[in-house]
Amino acid sequence: MSAAHETHRPGPRPIGEGTWFAGRAGLAMPAIVAAWSLFLLIGSLRMDSGDADFPGPAFFPGILGAVGLVLAVLQALAVVRTPEPPVDHSGRRWRTHSDPAALAWTVGGFFAFSLLLPWLGWILAAALLFWCVAWGFGSRRPGFDVILALFMSSAAYLAFDVGLGLNLPSGILGGGF
Amino acid sequence: MDALGLLMEGFAGALTPANLLWVLLGCLLGTAVGVLPGLGSSMAVALLLPLTFALDPTAAFIMFAGVYFGGMFGDSTMAILMNTPGQASAIASTFEGHRMAQAGRAPQALATAAIGAFIGGMIAAVLVVLLAPVMAEFANSFGPAEYFALALFAFIATSSVVSDSVLKGLTALVLGLGIAVVGIDSVTGTERFTLGAPQLFDGVSLVTVTVAVLALGEVFHVASRARRDHEVHQVRSAGRPWLTGAEFREALPAWLRGAGIGLPFGVIPAGGSEVPTFLAYDVERRLDARRAEPRFGRGAIRGLAAPEAAGNATTGMAMGALLTLGLPISATAAIMLAAFRQYGLQPGPLLFERNADLVWALLASFFLAMLVLLLINLPFAQLWAKLLLIPSSYLYAGITMFCGLGIYATSGRVFDLLLLLGLGVLGFLMRRFGYPVAPLMIGMVLGPLAETSVRDALLSSVGDPAVLVSSPITWVIYGLLALVLAGAALAAVRRRRAPAADEEIAAEA
Repeated sequence: MSAAHETHRPGPRPIGEGTWFAGRAGLAMPAIVAAWSLFLLIGSLRMDSGDADFPGPAFFPGILGAVGLVLAVLQALAVVRTPEPPVDHSGRRWRTHSDPAALAWTVGGFFAFSLLLPWLGWILAAALLFWCVAWGFGSRRPGFDVILALFMSSAAYLAFDVGLGLNLPSGILGGGF
Repeated sequence: MDALGLLMEGFAGALTPANLLWVLLGCLLGTAVGVLPGLGSSMAVALLLPLTFALDPTAAFIMFAGVYFGGMFGDSTMAILMNTPGQASAIASTFEGHRMAQAGRAPQALATAAIGAFIGGMIAAVLVVLLAPVMAEFANSFGPAEYFALALFAFIATSSVVSDSVLKGLTALVLGLGIAVVGIDSVTGTERFTLGAPQLFDGVSLVTVTVAVLALGEVFHVASRARRDHEVHQVRSAGRPWLTGAEFREALPAWLRGAGIGLPFGVIPAGGSEVPTFLAYDVERRLDARRAEPRFGRGAIRGLAAPEAAGNATTGMAMGALLTLGLPISATAAIMLAAFRQYGLQPGPLLFERNADLVWALLASFFLAMLVLLLINLPFAQLWAKLLLIPSSYLYAGITMFCGLGIYATSGRVFDLLLLLGLGVLGFLMRRFGYPVAPLMIGMVLGPLAETSVRDALLSSVGDPAVLVSSPITWVIYGLLALVLAGAALAAVRRRRAPAADEEIAAEA
């Protein structure tokens, strides 16, 4: 920390500052790619191709897995050697680059929507999703949002289920008891 | 004359009142989504893709044409008014277009963009109509080795040209190819990477991947930054949306040059219209620097006209390449291909024989879509800006709901919703760490084609790889690929020396 920063009000220190992981969150992608490539590679090696002629069903995915592993290692090396440069965080109010609360609300809202949809039915589950995403994006009018969310999900139900004939579940509102 | 006759039949098929309604609706919806900040034409197509399955194929594709061109127009409207291009292909329009808007000439800028898009698209559509039967016939001589070469071209070109980092582009491509191998192998019937889940026997649906990566991933990405970046929108447009005769004459050569630059890129699988729009902008800037009174930097009408015409010319030609070769050159074209497959249609030379009525109705609807867009956008362009008044929290909440609606309506399974969520998180991570998503889409779409053709070729030659480079067509394709790679390498070297070069250009201008 230089003297120049002390003239601003210092923000909270970013999570992981000073540790080896600072600026190296980018390792997440190589990790995912490596895991996926290993899955492909192991799957192709263990695949029972029967008596298929060369090149059989394991040929293409095997190549993909090998190439994917090489790419993941190269990128992990790139991230380790050149981490993201630390940004000046004086005057900031947050500790991570991404907003974990907003992500939790949107991702969690969608997860809940997926699991509850068959039981709650489209109107209630979609309204829940709408509300969670709106909240995650910083809307601070929970009561009004409930009404708006129910209106939007009902409108979608009317337009696409009743109007266009797509099949959306009616759930407990449809008399599923 | 033959093609013209078929096109007239296509118009007869497209010009029913119901289809006109769909094209109008498509244009309106596409423009609406394209206008919304940060949402581009590929998002518009991805969101509306599952919903069109309720229509019959002809109506669905006619609506698609409207959505696609509408989305492109919405992109550039926002690029001009707010300096927020929804898609990389609209970035070149922001430079001079936004300056025109700041100088109080927003309506003229919008009109320039609308007419430019119309001219570029029209020239491309005419060319496609004239050339499509020839191209389809030519593509008939393609065997597995040729298709593998084409797919390889698309893979390498998209992942190296479009992205800043070749490594990241290739990674995205491998992810897409990997997702595409899940499911039952089409050649031998072997079950692959399904972990025994029957929901995966048919593979991961391209629609799910499209909506997840292009729409849901974007929502998560915006959510992660929503309370951190604050943008200030200032420009409001009002007034005369018409060009004077002098302005029209000023822009006309730029429109034509832009269209000329855009056309060839429509058949090169190098990621769509980003490259030609920048190229067209650059050409105009260099030409302008030679004039007695350079106008660039202060809202030059030519700097907007050329990229707009180039973008739509590329898009139009790309549709031709998709229909005749079955080759998608951009993420949006990949989505169109997914739509064709959903109806059991395989774009390519055979499509012209088996579903001629559908193809010509679709080509006719391109003309209709562009006409409708010109009609609804010249007078009403500034009305679209009113959509910005919707708070972003409700906007994205609605988009998320639509993602869920589309996927559940097409699959009817919670499993697909969870898959959508997982892939959406992947899409978010890719955006967060600067991985391009277009190669993933291309890999997902062309992966099966590449795999079956390389295996067919090798099976027929009993494992001899020389079969892959045995015909003149493959030599030409690999030669072009080498040229594209050399060009990309050259551009990368130049970019590394960019700071110095930029100063030189500034000194010249």
